[in-house]
Amino acid sequence: MIQPQTYLNVADNSGARELMCIRIIGASNRRYARIGDVIVAVIKEAIPNTPLERSEVIRAVIVRTCKELKRNNGTIIRYDDNAAVIIDQEGNPKGTRVFGAIPRELRLSFTKIVSLAPEVL
Amino acid sequence: MSFRFIQRQNFAVLNTVRLCSSASPLMANGNGHELRKLGFDSVSSPASYLLNSVRRIVSSSSMHGRIFTATSSSRGFATTGDSVQPFDSASDAPPRIKFKRLDKTAKHIMQILDKEAVGEVRAQREIPDIKPGYIVQLKVEVPENKRRASIVKGIVIARRNAGLNSTFRIRRLVAGVGVESMFPLYSPNLKEIKVLDKKKVRRAKLYYLRDKMNALKKH
Repeated sequence: MIQPQTYLNVADNSGARELMCIRIIGASNRRYARIGDVIVAVIKEAIPNTPLERSEVIRAVIVRTCKELKRNNGTIIRYDDNAAVIIDQEGNPKGTRVFGAIPRELRLSFTKIVSLAPEVL
Repeated sequence: MSFRFIQRQNFAVLNTVRLCSSASPLMANGNGHELRKLGFDSVSSPASYLLNSVRRIVSSSSMHGRIFTATSSSRGFATTGDSVQPFDSASDAPPRIKFKRLDKTAKHIMQILDKEAVGEVRAQREIPDIKPGYIVQLKVEVPENKRRASIVKGIVIARRNAGLNSTFRIRRLVAGVGVESMFPLYSPNLKEIKVLDKKKVRRAKLYYLRDKMNALKKH
C-alpha cells in the first residue's frame, strides 16, 4: 500500500538509495500502489558519483511491500520493507543488479528484473 | 373392566372424530403453511395424523375386544393407551414435534462437514503438529515452476485454527530480506512438512520477531 510521500528502499545498483513516491501510474485517482505497479518517485538519497542524483524525478516499479500480497492458492507473502526498482519508460531496469527477493507476480510484465533477481519467491 | 375399557375406547374414537371435523376447517385456512414452515414434513397434516390414529385405535379396539375375553393381562392395553393419550391431554392441538432452531442445526451440520473434510485430508497425507516456535521445512509445489517443488524453511510464528482453513505463518530470511509467508495447513500444494527443531516460546503469536529478527532495520 504505497501512496505519495512513502519512502521506499531501492533494490538495485542504479545509484539511488531512497525514493519518495509522488504519484501512482495507472488510473487517475488511484489511492494505493501494490507490488507490480509503476510509480513516479523522487530520489531522496543517492550514492555519490553515480549517474542518478538527489531530487531527480524517475519512474520505479514496486517489488516489495510490507502489506501482504495475496495469491490465488491461498498463500500470503509479506516482506519486511517497501522497495522499488528504478526503470525507464519501457520497463527495463536502470541498474544491472537486483538485490533481495522478488515475487513471482512481476514475471509477466518485468521479465528482465525477474531474470536478474537472486531469489524469486 | 373390559366393558369399561371398550367404553373408554369408543369415547376416544368419538373425540377424535370430533377433532377431525374441527381440525379440517383450520387446515383449510392456512394452518398447513405454518406447519410446513415449522418442518412438519413427516406428517402431511394433523387431520391425516388423526385419521391414522383413529384407524389404529378402531382396529386395535376391535382386536382387543376379541382377545380380552381370552386373557386378562393388562399389558395389552398399554399400546392402545398410548395412542389414546395425546388426544385426551391436548384439547385442540396435535402432538408437537420438537426441533432445534434451524440455524443451530445448520451450524452443527457445517461443523460435521468440516471435521469430515479435515479427516479426509489427514488420512491422505501425514501432517505433523505445527506450533509456534517450531523450525519447519516445507516443500511447496508451485504451478509456475513445473520442475521441482521449492523448499521453504523458517520459524513458525503463528497458527490459526479454523477447521479446514487452518493457516500458519512462517518467517524466514531470503536474500537479506525478511519474508513472512502464510500457508493453509491442509493445502494440496504443501507436499511435505518436516519439523526440524522446536524452540521454547512463551507466546502463541511471535510477532515480536519482526523487530528482533529484522535484517533491514536501521538501528
